[in-house]
Amino acid sequence: MPEVAGVALRDDELARIRERLGREPSVVEVHAFDAQWSEHCSYKSSRHLLKKLPTTSERVILGPAEDSGILHLGEFNGERYGIVIAHESHNHPSQVVPFEGAATGIGGIVRDVLCMGAHVIAVADPLRFGRIDDLHSHQRYVAQGVVDGISAYGNAIGVPNIAGDVYFDERFDDNCLVNVVAMGIVREAEVIHSYAPQGADGWDIVLVGKATDASGFGGASFSSLTLDSADEDSNKGAVQVPDPFLKSVLMRASYHAFEFLRKQGLSVAFKDLGAGGIMGCSAEIASAGGYGASIDLDAVNVAIEGMRPEVVAVGETQERLLWVVPPEITPELLRIYNDLFTLPDIAYNARAVKIGTVTAEKRYVLRHRGEVVMDVDIAFLTGSIRDELPFHDIPAPAGTAERSLVTGVQLDELIERVLAHPDVCSRAPLYRRYDTVVRGRTVIPRGAAGAGVLAPVWGSPLGVALAVAGNPRYSRIDVRLAAEHAVYEAVRKVVAVGARPIGLTDCLNFGNPRKPEHYSELVAAIDGLARAAKNFETPFVSGNVSLYNESASGRAIPASPVVACVGAIDDIANVVTMPLKAAGSVLYMVGRPQTALGSSVLLDVLGRSDEHLPRIDYEAILAQHTLMYEASQAGLLRSAHAIGNGGLAAAACEMAFAALAEGHAPVGVRIDDSWQWTQGRVGNLEAYFGEAGGFVVEVAAADVEAFESLAAQADYIHEIGVTLDRPVLAIDDDAFDLHHLRDIWYAPLREVYP
Amino acid sequence: MSRRIAVLVFPGTNSEEETVRLLRDCGGDAHLVHWSGAALLPSFDAYVLPGGFAYEDRIRAGAIAAHDEMMDHVIAGAELGKLVLGVCNGAQILLEAGLVPGTGPVRHPTAAFTRNGPVAHFVCTHVHVKLSVKPGRSPITAALAPEAVIPAWAANAEGRLAAQENHLAELRNGDHIAFVYAHEKGNVDPTATPNQSALGVAGLVNRSGNVLALMPHPERDAWTFNHPDKRRGDDMLAPSGGAALFRSFVAGVQRS
Amino acid sequence: MSRRAVAIELKIPDNAAYTALVTLRRLGLAVERVERSQIVRYEDAPSPKVLVDRVQGDESLYNPNKHRVTVLDGDVPRTGEVWIVQDDPDMPVAWRLYVAPGTPASTEVLKIACERLLCNPAVERAIFSR
Repeated sequence: MPEVAGVALRDDELARIRERLGREPSVVEVHAFDAQWSEHCSYKSSRHLLKKLPTTSERVILGPAEDSGILHLGEFNGERYGIVIAHESHNHPSQVVPFEGAATGIGGIVRDVLCMGAHVIAVADPLRFGRIDDLHSHQRYVAQGVVDGISAYGNAIGVPNIAGDVYFDERFDDNCLVNVVAMGIVREAEVIHSYAPQGADGWDIVLVGKATDASGFGGASFSSLTLDSADEDSNKGAVQVPDPFLKSVLMRASYHAFEFLRKQGLSVAFKDLGAGGIMGCSAEIASAGGYGASIDLDAVNVAIEGMRPEVVAVGETQERLLWVVPPEITPELLRIYNDLFTLPDIAYNARAVKIGTVTAEKRYVLRHRGEVVMDVDIAFLTGSIRDELPFHDIPAPAGTAERSLVTGVQLDELIERVLAHPDVCSRAPLYRRYDTVVRGRTVIPRGAAGAGVLAPVWGSPLGVALAVAGNPRYSRIDVRLAAEHAVYEAVRKVVAVGARPIGLTDCLNFGNPRKPEHYSELVAAIDGLARAAKNFETPFVSGNVSLYNESASGRAIPASPVVACVGAIDDIANVVTMPLKAAGSVLYMVGRPQTALGSSVLLDVLGRSDEHLPRIDYEAILAQHTLMYEASQAGLLRSAHAIGNGGLAAAACEMAFAALAEGHAPVGVRIDDSWQWTQGRVGNLEAYFGEAGGFVVEVAAADVEAFESLAAQADYIHEIGVTLDRPVLAIDDDAFDLHHLRDIWYAPLREVYP
Repeated sequence: MSRRIAVLVFPGTNSEEETVRLLRDCGGDAHLVHWSGAALLPSFDAYVLPGGFAYEDRIRAGAIAAHDEMMDHVIAGAELGKLVLGVCNGAQILLEAGLVPGTGPVRHPTAAFTRNGPVAHFVCTHVHVKLSVKPGRSPITAALAPEAVIPAWAANAEGRLAAQENHLAELRNGDHIAFVYAHEKGNVDPTATPNQSALGVAGLVNRSGNVLALMPHPERDAWTFNHPDKRRGDDMLAPSGGAALFRSFVAGVQRS
Repeated sequence: MSRRAVAIELKIPDNAAYTALVTLRRLGLAVERVERSQIVRYEDAPSPKVLVDRVQGDESLYNPNKHRVTVLDGDVPRTGEVWIVQDDPDMPVAWRLYVAPGTPASTEVLKIACERLLCNPAVERAIFSR
């Protein structure tokens, strides 16, 4: 076995390679398998578990087989349009070099959408950081650097950030989570796949983009190892360097290439380079089509001469993509990138160049300086490997919550503390750093509702909504139910803006799968996601698994399934926005308050605990969502907001704060004593601050009859109060000045993101 | 004969799509012209420089683009009196090229849109800008009402006007301050300015009035569906709000 | 303790320096190479070794994957180098130009480069070595 440093392959894996090859693997081959068989690339611990997730529906054009999923959005002018959606993580790099890690995370997820032949139209960033109180802590540096990186990259390439969230918890101190979602729009007839198509034997493999350098060498296996501060320098060395300027030109040139290929009526393949670099991408694009590939490493455009072949083959230099095209197309493709869009002038030795050929023989062959440095069976290289790891069932906690758990607390103090809580306070200081309106298609920008909305097809009233969710506190109580709640919350944020949820993506962020307690959490979470997705009839079309999120001391993150939901809107005229619109409206809660307060902000504020998460009654919820949809289509909702962290009181406050914006007549809120509208089924505090889901909606007095008749005596609508003509929150016997409350709500993150 | 408007695309420009669509929706015959097609520019009658990060804002925002071959043609065109509108990064390029305020030689800037204050971070926020010259001061603004208030989005890290004292004085004396930040109702005070821009300046015009540089983006609040206050029953796909400036620009181009 | 400065440079390809080179050549200057660094000036600096440790420990300034740090003699520009100051006089950006391999540009060439591209007098000033 060659002496190869910095490789994560286990002895049993190396033995398998040696046996299959019938010889010692070369240095290049060791690095190639190290990357390809890393957790990050191969999903060896999770792929078989993910089969439990539902992935099909009438709306699914493409499920999780390629770099992105595609959902049918609607038709316009005789064309069918698809929403392309992908979801990934960049956790380990962001913990070590936050700016570059997060920026390259955005870079990578954008490529996943681009390579399907789509125009990239939005990104979202669900983030989880550690404690940020200490000004000099690494966690604080991470929290700021990550946002700077996402901002720098997304803004430069002109892709608006329309959704996201952030949580802070000490269990993320050593392992932040930086998940990213990208969305694109494509005509379904113009989708480009990531596998070499029929008849591609002998076709050219064309590499496009940044000159290959030594950055990011070891990236794939690096992200599959636990972080140890003793390795800090080598950890930093594996991190890739972002170049959004080059990327913006690459995107533009690729859009031009899409147009050209469309006119030719050709089926080709396009794939982005990520984990495993040139080797990973070219091997997968060929083997997925049933072919082999032959690559000449000397043809690769490099930034430095004399790099070792394994660095060229496996290094993860950013901003690169790969085409498989018929040889007669190659000259025009090169002209588009190199001449028309002047890639070599944009970055040193950036260009499009042919590096190899698709072969009928199913081997993967790399040549360097005329010598063969890799020659393996391609199916063995890219085929699925599987780690059978032990796990046990995690039973749900027994019993139900007792009523009136919380007594003897003053409401006025509670409101302020809930609004200032890190899970509730305004995220505006953070997302103001993101461009949320570039490209001019934003209907609801980031922060103006729980979901962002775009009108992605010029001239068409079609709309698309995007929301993310995944409360990391819930999994401490019940991992399976917490995963269901992640889906439920993302879905209801989409419903709140008047959209129909049509699909999901997920990122599963967990600890060490070789520790049964963490692996069991992964199994349970996937069960929960599957259950919720089936009930909501929203399939998973794309996703990512990030394991080994623990530090060397063994401290793992909370089990963190993160979900994104895509919603379809037939006509943006029916979109429902969050700000309260006028005094004299009636306010309703759509949903059922529960006594369970487990992991709620309220209990965190009070320093108490409850081992019960709110139950999810799918039948009732689906009826609520149908009501919300019908009411929005009929124009009966003046405003609406999904209830989440901080409960109904926080949701109503957010609707009121949004209405405090300039130029509006002031609108306030009165919430009646909850004993009236819950008939005493739950206590006041459970009613105002419970996080069982549902919505707060504002209905004009003139529309009350129509709204209530739609709801048809259902027990899940509650008339909770009215809107006022002065900027106060009146709740129970208390009244609060809304400007004062807004200041309290706005202050905490402003301190971190000035 | 219809006048043709070129919307310039530099490497790193990112707002050309909404810009060209808005110009067309306002009746303009607008076309994208790409950096490797600079030789086409002299055949156009007017130029629009959209937002983005041309050349990644390397060295300074707009500094490299100001020396691009495309700007040779814009400078020549401006000298002939062609109308030129620059938005955000486009505005920065016009200042670096010395075309606005135009109180110094070409490519010798006398003002800059530079790092935001008080904190030097990218900020994306909805704003309003108010016309602070007479409409007739420039063919670009001639169709606007006096003191027109236009909605827009500020989305930049370098939107603060700065200049040496003598040049700031010249901006005032020479009636170069075309737009200032304002509240929705048109009242002007320091809280309306999101970035500590000197004199609350959002936009500048040159001496002869044919070149206008505006930092915030009206084209991002230009269709009804963009408006924060849209109501059900509005015609969502109709141009409105920020489109007013572009309508005025197109009208100015047609008359030129 | 004395006045010192450190120069923090990129070890990885510097695209901004590359673009500056291409543009300056297009403007007619016979420049062969451009290097860029972030200067940090210290009024009351500790010894060079301590200073380097301090810089290397500051995550907002230094990342071993990207940067190398050099302590300068005194706190003035090196030969062939101009410092551009905007708001903070203690953190100028340094541009170092070469007219041939190993041959730094003269102050005259630096002044032309500043006037044409590197310095916007509306908001910046240039400091040359004496």
